[in-house]
Amino acid sequence: MSHMKTSTKATKDWLNTLEYREKNFAREKLVINPAKACQPLGALLCALGIEGSLPFVHGSQGCAAYFRSTLSRHYREPVAAVSDSMTEDSAVFGGQSNLIEGLKNANALYSPKVIAMFTSCMAEVIGDDIKAYLGNAKEQEAIPKDLPVALANTPSFKGSHITGYDTMLKGLVECLATARQEDKINDRLYVVPGFDTYTANLREYKRLLKVMDTPYTLLPDQSDVLDAPNLGTYELYPGGTSITEMNDALNAASFLCLQTYSTPTTRKYLASKEVPVESISMPIGIAGTDKFIESIAKFTGKDVPEEITLERGRSIDAMTDSHQYIHGKKFALFGDPDVLIGLVSFLLEMGGEPVHIVCTNSTPLFKKAMESLLASSPYGQGSTLYAGKDLWHLRSLLVTDPVDMLIGDSHGKWAARDANIPLVRVGFPITDRVNLHRYPIIGYSGVINLITMIVNTFLEEKDRTSSDPYFEMMR
Amino acid sequence: MFTNLTKLDLKDKQCMSDAGSPKLCMKALPGEGAERSCAYDGARVVLMPITDVAHLVHGPIACAGNSWDNRGARSSGSQLFRRGLTTDIMENDVIYGGEKKLKESILEIALRHNPKAIFVYATCVSSLIGDDVDKICKEAEVELTIPVIAVNCPGFLGDKNIGNRIAGEVLFDRVIGTAEGPNEKIPLSINLIGEYNIAGDIWGVIPDLKNLGITLQTAITGDAKFDDIRSAHKASLNVLICSKSLTNLVRKMEISYGIPFMEGSFYGIHDTSETLVNIAKALGDPDLLERTLVYVRKKEDETRKIIAGYKTLLENKQAILFTGGVKTWSMVSTLAELGINILAGGTQNSTPEDFQRMKELMDPSAQIIEDTSSAGFLKIIAEKKPDLIVAGGKTKYLAHKTRTPFLDINHGRKLPYAGYQGMVTFAETLTRTVLSPVWGLLKQEFPPKESEQDD
Ligand code: SF4
Ligand code: SF4
Repeated sequence: MSHMKTSTKATKDWLNTLEYREKNFAREKLVINPAKACQPLGALLCALGIEGSLPFVHGSQGCAAYFRSTLSRHYREPVAAVSDSMTEDSAVFGGQSNLIEGLKNANALYSPKVIAMFTSCMAEVIGDDIKAYLGNAKEQEAIPKDLPVALANTPSFKGSHITGYDTMLKGLVECLATARQEDKINDRLYVVPGFDTYTANLREYKRLLKVMDTPYTLLPDQSDVLDAPNLGTYELYPGGTSITEMNDALNAASFLCLQTYSTPTTRKYLASKEVPVESISMPIGIAGTDKFIESIAKFTGKDVPEEITLERGRSIDAMTDSHQYIHGKKFALFGDPDVLIGLVSFLLEMGGEPVHIVCTNSTPLFKKAMESLLASSPYGQGSTLYAGKDLWHLRSLLVTDPVDMLIGDSHGKWAARDANIPLVRVGFPITDRVNLHRYPIIGYSGVINLITMIVNTFLEEKDRTSSDPYFEMMR
Repeated sequence: MFTNLTKLDLKDKQCMSDAGSPKLCMKALPGEGAERSCAYDGARVVLMPITDVAHLVHGPIACAGNSWDNRGARSSGSQLFRRGLTTDIMENDVIYGGEKKLKESILEIALRHNPKAIFVYATCVSSLIGDDVDKICKEAEVELTIPVIAVNCPGFLGDKNIGNRIAGEVLFDRVIGTAEGPNEKIPLSINLIGEYNIAGDIWGVIPDLKNLGITLQTAITGDAKFDDIRSAHKASLNVLICSKSLTNLVRKMEISYGIPFMEGSFYGIHDTSETLVNIAKALGDPDLLERTLVYVRKKEDETRKIIAGYKTLLENKQAILFTGGVKTWSMVSTLAELGINILAGGTQNSTPEDFQRMKELMDPSAQIIEDTSSAGFLKIIAEKKPDLIVAGGKTKYLAHKTRTPFLDINHGRKLPYAGYQGMVTFAETLTRTVLSPVWGLLKQEFPPKESEQDD
């Protein structure tokens, strides 16, 4: 085998051919421009949403530094976390001494109400038993016996950030909640947003629940932690689901999970504790939001308030005003399973055609769900889901089978640029635009926001590229 | 985050003779806060700016996924270096080993991406499962016509500095001196070492070198091409930019190729001039030296004139300076040139020498930041109430939460600050930062106190 001797220009052109696309899709071992993050990052995000909770990475420090900077760049906020900095010695002797010393220091320095401990790959590969280590740490009085420490095994060579989120959430409930007692069942709906990086989505859920007069707990709730007001001082623990509500979680009247693919472990655990639990897709688009509202109304037994009906009416009005800009347009999308289901459902409602759908962290269940969603609409007939593929595959799709717009996170910008199409940023991480996490994409107001982003981007493009006769005041 | 120096486990006690001196020589304290990155990150920082090679990360998704194009190193040519290439180690690889996958990935890259060479990075997981990256690279090289270079830098070896050094060794052993053809020195030529072209820094320096008739053989590694680094041994002089993370490399090049080295910095007017003059001296060409002396005087005058307006606005502002390492001392004099006083200064990844130099340049009354954790940092902000903070991105949002103007001087920035032109950009950006109306808005009481409402 010899290295191809071609000029850079020729290589570039060749990369845009169908011949290359075929070779690219035959690629199995190598991942190019991945569209997923790893388990501990998801665990870290989850852990931040509990009051007084300190995320603790059992593993090598580099990973932890990466997670923090990735989250920090998305939210433009400081992100707290510690690591027990395992080194070569730990690789040989196990990480117990690091873990114990780390717990001692972390507790002394940060006085957390709960420590959320999760592993990096390194700890997983050497097979550290964090549960046993924690027992020993408490035995040695490294931390007070009654300081809760939630545990999650989050090896990155399995699953993705959404798996880690799920495992940590289960760990937190397992650690903090007291056993379910039939005579102590509370009246609250515990609402689980899932791996959701929009602080505005979380606030919007809370607003809707309030409008619908629902006794609820959002679990976890990072909205105040990662979108803290500037009051002149830095708070290490600026919010989150309260410990009291955590303690009472298994006594919930019911659980409602708003993402399917980032919560299966938690749901299974809840079901095993005989807690009623329901899961729906992320409420993106009208149908998705309707389902959410219906679920809540079913829970409260109350009528849907007029305020919500009016909101829905306004969103649909916005859709009618702008459907012509999306109808018949071709889209490519990439991202996490739950977000993709929501976005595709929204596009189908608008007559948009989601031609290429790339999901690096796909599962067989998701594949089935997406395929049946696509089959349900005439606009989904020309669509293909590419499960387990990366952004380099996506690039091949875009240059050989062009679409009008790409929807995904900031990582998509190279592919969009090579294909000369606009990228509308939805997902995680968004590191090259400001404030997008402060606009909800869920609920009826999310519908309006999505329309605004997508349609105005198209119109912007039109103005930028149109010649004099076609440049006009009205669009 | 919180560090109590007396409690620390030191590998080398001498380094700590000075309060607040950098933590180069110690392990991170477990549980203290994960501010510091790892050896893999350090190696990648040094090698990744080589633009026309492929950088393949042999590890689980995040090592590559989180660091893919995250540094703002710019390239004037190939963009191949920014592609996120990884073997994405999965559970099966952990059980059965990932060598076969690695080999196939290397071949795939060689065949389809037209790289000048392939660097293969080992990470924690690939090292722990016992994959022999060296062996696989050698095997692959037999089948290919390009170099395939193993970089053994699993994160658990330690922090960034160790990774920097590993990268230096890799360059020395596998790249420098491997060019074909005659080996004679190129007259009046230099290598810039430890200059990564963050935000395009190097492009602010090249025009001055050109004007003076100095040839830049290559930068190690900003905007570098693989073949130029192969010929780096033909340069007459190595100029180590600020950081000493690659000191091992220049020492070895001195011994093997007889290339002397000097240190320099292109931040600030004074340091830029001094570095250019020192280069001229070191190159030993009287003509060049004369030219340079005249040139820098002219450039200094021009630049000072341009920044005079900014200086008036910034004069006597009080700053806290905290850097990840490289430019600490140079930043002290750069800020001084704008009339800014330093209330407190500190550094995290610098060498003890860098630290000493910074200390000498600062006003004796300036405090040395000993506790370099977030908590220590917040404390010092509360005590000193600075007009601005000049630091790396990790401190940015902490500064904002305390309502203090902040300027990023590490890789998070988007503007080049090197050279005379860079100084103008720096002055302009700093002025915009400090004088933003936003800070005034933040300081307003709300709701206003009664008395204020009256007048
Ligand atoms: S510490 Fe290890 S696993 Fe983490 S980023 Fe560094 S090399 Fe990768
Ligand atoms: S994949 Fe593993 S080694 Fe890499 S950053 Fe994540 S936890 Fe660390």
